[in-house]
Amino acid sequence: MTTQAKLNENNLTGLLTEWREGDKSALDKLTPIVYDELRRIAHRYVRRERDGHTLATTALVNEAYLRLAGFQKFTWENRSHFFAVSAQVMRHILIDYARRSQFAKRGGGLQRVSLEGAAIDAVLMSPTRAAELIALDEALDELAKMDPRKSDVVQLRYFGGLTLEETAEVLQVSLMTVRRDWRAARAWLYKSVNSE
Amino acid sequence: MTPEQWQKVDEVFQGALDRAPHDRESFLDEACEGNAALRSEADSLISAHDKAGDFIEQPAVTEDARVLVDALDHNIGRDLGAYTILERLGAGGMGEVYLAQDRRLNRRVALKILPALFASDHMRLRRFQREAQAASALNHPNILTIHEVGEHEGVWFIATEFIDGQTVRDLIEQAALPLAEILDIAEQVASALATAHAAGIVHRDIKPENIMKRSDGLVKILDFGIVKLLERPANDFERATAHVTQSHTEFGEVMGTAGYMSPEQARGLVVDERTDIWSLGVVLYEMVSRRAPFSGATRMDTMVAILERDPEPLHSHVSESRELQLIQLVIDKSLGKERQERYQTAGEMLAQLTLVREELKGAPSIGSSIEPRKSLSAASSFRRLLPVFVVALVLAAAIAVVFLYKDSTSRAPANSTASAVNKRYLEMTETEQLAYISAQEQRISAMMGDRPAKLNEDALRSIKSYVDHYVARSQNKTDGVDTVSETLTRGRAHAPLIAREFKARKVPVIIGLYLAMIESAFRPCAESSSGARGLYQFVPETARNYGLSHSEMCNVDKMTPAAAAYIADHMAELGDDAESMTLVLLSYNRGSTWVRGTLRELRQTEDYQRNFWMLFAHRDKLDEGFRRESAGYVPSFFAAAIVGENPEAFGIQMPALSTFAR
Repeated sequence: MTTQAKLNENNLTGLLTEWREGDKSALDKLTPIVYDELRRIAHRYVRRERDGHTLATTALVNEAYLRLAGFQKFTWENRSHFFAVSAQVMRHILIDYARRSQFAKRGGGLQRVSLEGAAIDAVLMSPTRAAELIALDEALDELAKMDPRKSDVVQLRYFGGLTLEETAEVLQVSLMTVRRDWRAARAWLYKSVNSE
Repeated sequence: MTPEQWQKVDEVFQGALDRAPHDRESFLDEACEGNAALRSEADSLISAHDKAGDFIEQPAVTEDARVLVDALDHNIGRDLGAYTILERLGAGGMGEVYLAQDRRLNRRVALKILPALFASDHMRLRRFQREAQAASALNHPNILTIHEVGEHEGVWFIATEFIDGQTVRDLIEQAALPLAEILDIAEQVASALATAHAAGIVHRDIKPENIMKRSDGLVKILDFGIVKLLERPANDFERATAHVTQSHTEFGEVMGTAGYMSPEQARGLVVDERTDIWSLGVVLYEMVSRRAPFSGATRMDTMVAILERDPEPLHSHVSESRELQLIQLVIDKSLGKERQERYQTAGEMLAQLTLVREELKGAPSIGSSIEPRKSLSAASSFRRLLPVFVVALVLAAAIAVVFLYKDSTSRAPANSTASAVNKRYLEMTETEQLAYISAQEQRISAMMGDRPAKLNEDALRSIKSYVDHYVARSQNKTDGVDTVSETLTRGRAHAPLIAREFKARKVPVIIGLYLAMIESAFRPCAESSSGARGLYQFVPETARNYGLSHSEMCNVDKMTPAAAAYIADHMAELGDDAESMTLVLLSYNRGSTWVRGTLRELRQTEDYQRNFWMLFAHRDKLDEGFRRESAGYVPSFFAAAIVGENPEAFGIQMPALSTFAR
């Protein structure tokens, strides 16, 4: 059964273009491809680390983008859309996993069963880290209600790994605006996360 | 905290940080005077800022890469209700697909795990469940059986029978298929479609990827009835990416994979079972020729091909034979541009496929029972309207200019006609308003070369809301945006200047004048003016285009000639025909990256007229956003014509107002 989303030039560029052109269904198709790509790169990161290399601070998303973008010259719109999708997917993956980790600690199941049937332990996020991420996620939702752009800035920066300049480009605002948004959002989130 | 309160806190916070530490205290005293709550919020935010250290400064992934690897693979080995996930099969438009073991019935199933974003959209989920239930009731050997649509700890999944086989896409790519096998596959699909259609379920996305063939030859159609509902973005996803996608998600939804879409699907119209017949015709063509009958460099080119072209005959790709001729007849009949030209039911198509297969085996001749090919001419009638439209548009522009100059020299009150009509509109009853809008809409449609269609009440009411907004805005300057008469007055004042810019570039003045006038009304002086979402996000780009600084964009005297020069350059670059003008017009009014992007792409193609038609064919979708935004800040042709402010500009005879008198 091969419903495999084939990652090829036409596919991805086509989907991004379709999305840009207003085809909503393209986004749904795009997401699994982003997932696939993130998975592949995350694997490589861990391997590299095992080989004694330290983890580079380059964001996964940036690397995923570069690989995908290598296919063909991307238009500005494609690039921004890709960043936006990736940041959202990234946030989703991490928060979802933080929740699962907490659930597992409380005695729920996050036990993995290998194909042979033996139980193996899953890598869990540390409780502190999981709690921190979940609090941040909730605070970010709160912030979005008051100031969606600031929340977007954080999502793109923190989950998407974008620089201030790239964030400005994606959101089509000045670098100054992003800087100011970032410092206010960071202060507000810090306050919100630490008061709980 | 409300957004307004927060905005105030943010302002004070930024102001304080912009000052040297020893000046902060006095700044805060002054800024928060008499507002203790504001002061306390600002103080705590500043203190948080000072204490935050490197909080969230490093991207999350640097901390979580190891965990991430596991998170991404977490489904393998996991139990989901009664299912144990064994292996990942792939990812599709509907999330991840896994091979799983059903422990209750001890059988292997394919498990699709729906994206969590999808599952958090309750409305969509309910509709999906309903539809999936209907589809799971379909009992046909050629339709993939849905075992269960379920949920386990918040994770939604669909369990279907697991098919160990290959998709038709794989088969096509591997080798040329014998005609007998092709007919066999097509027959099985047609048979499944007949059953589904009888149950009122249309697949809508028949394509080689959705048809599987088992090693024993049995064909299965995948994803019946669920495709359409799944292929929509979840709401929070849309919200989350709203800043960059805002202008795109407003367009009508065109579902399905471009190459297999029926003309009605491509046009975003309502589809019925005959859309599946078209798509099966496309798959049949592709199985035989191993080529897509309709394709193009871009999605739009593909859609134009679908709407306008007949595919190349099969014999230009594979060697001619009597069997091929028969299959060609079935394909031609399936690919009627108009629905009534196609097979009307899957059963009819199945019967003919069976006849062809029997003919192949040497059964009695069936040539006479297959209808000869009809000429397909939906597109040509569309094309015939082109001259009408061009004439109308040029005429409209010409009259607009005459009107403009005439009016600028006359002593008549600048906006008397507009006010009178607006006033009259306000005095009408709601029923009369709707009737008036309907009449105007039909006139505009006729003028634009569309078949004037009678709009249903929902559509009329939606247009009415724009008109109401527009009329209200012409009456009172409430939202800080210019009134219509102000815009027109400014346009007139700048007309000679604009005309000069256009003449210097040898662009017909009549074509660009109106555009420049609109542009002169566009004054992006603030990043967040009320009611100015949309265009304002393009300010940096526009300023760059015009060679202006941000503050110069606010200066009408600088802005107008720069806009005129820029538009004139574009017109010169594009050619001075009416299509170009319409594109530019759409792009400037719409303020959409989509239209702009298209424009940019078009400039690189030799044959942009086809693409123009594509835009034009989707005019109804463009216009919705067009009208909405127009009502926000520019008097567009459309809004103007609907309100009846300037009917002469359209060469439209206004209905006597007495028609609407009480």
